[in-house]
Amino acid sequence: MAKNLYSHLKSEFKNHLFDYLLLITAGIFFLILLNIFRGQRVIEFFVLVSFAFFYIVWGIYHHIINETLHLKTVVEYILIAFIVIFLLKIIILP
Amino acid sequence: MEKIKTFIHRLFVPHEENNFRAKSLHTDFLTVYLVIAFLMMMVFKQGNIHDILGFATDISVDKLYQLTNEERQKNNLPLLTLNSTLSLAAQKKAENMFQENYWSHYSPDGKTPWDFMLGAGYKYEYAGENLAKNFLFSNGVVDAWMNSATHRDNLLKKEYTEVGYAIVNGILNGEQTTLVVQEFGKPMSGAFAPPSVEASEPVGIVVQKAVQPKVSPLKFSFNFNVIFMMFLIMALALDFYFASKFNIIRIGGKNTAHLLFIIFVLIGLFMSTIGAII
Repeated sequence: MAKNLYSHLKSEFKNHLFDYLLLITAGIFFLILLNIFRGQRVIEFFVLVSFAFFYIVWGIYHHIINETLHLKTVVEYILIAFIVIFLLKIIILP
Repeated sequence: MEKIKTFIHRLFVPHEENNFRAKSLHTDFLTVYLVIAFLMMMVFKQGNIHDILGFATDISVDKLYQLTNEERQKNNLPLLTLNSTLSLAAQKKAENMFQENYWSHYSPDGKTPWDFMLGAGYKYEYAGENLAKNFLFSNGVVDAWMNSATHRDNLLKKEYTEVGYAIVNGILNGEQTTLVVQEFGKPMSGAFAPPSVEASEPVGIVVQKAVQPKVSPLKFSFNFNVIFMMFLIMALALDFYFASKFNIIRIGGKNTAHLLFIIFVLIGLFMSTIGAII
């Protein structure tokens, strides 16, 4: 199972290398900023919200490029982003 | 048993009965998760309005004291006794930090940690201080001190016999902050003498203002977040695996992107539990 999953993941990343590099770069940037502003809760929350909005824009961009954009797809990205924002707000800004 | 099997199958495996997408990742399910997350956020916000200590952090004097002595025990050092005068000094120091708005061992008007100890009536032969702010959990505070050479030296100094703590919430530099002050000392035997030059540099302070609730809402929320994100990661990974295996092509977001996003956020969640020490 793990081998199969790895080969599919590899193929997915290979086919959209630039898009995933962009997302991973943003993710690393998100973690670096969290580390820089460690303990400053308001800024930490702002960094989280920025990353979540980037993720929504990334999703829309990715599906436009691949001509697979659909309202349902956009809603899915928005829902996941906001679930994460609401959950982490409890921890970061209680 | 068969019903449970079918339910789990629908929940995690994409096939014709769930429109070739794991039910747990359908828009309606995601909406339910969103509503639950929103309600949780509102409940916790409401709790904070009533200023329940323990919402902002899950740090307690008992836990800090226990963890500090555990570290000393591991290093074959004598255990420290909890001293109420040192705790009072720690409380005064933390309150002064909020009043004069500074994050340092020394106040802007030149007050030293030793001034707070002597002011509380603690005459010492040796003394030291550790400070921490904005940690979420007690073990995070002690781990951070143990990972810093100067704080570690303070925590493991064999001369110390007593310790005091304060954990205080307030506004520092315009931000809601939880300060932890840890004061170490060895009481002066016999007559009072001027502070020893061997007293170590202060490193941190903790003040406890109220009794924390037995079930910490923050701990519950943190664990809930971790479990929920692990559930999402599992659902996305399974859906991705079966969709790839059965060559299913469908309209929807990319599971790999969702996975990356949630993994980064999960790492960020753990990072947010760590505050700052001086």
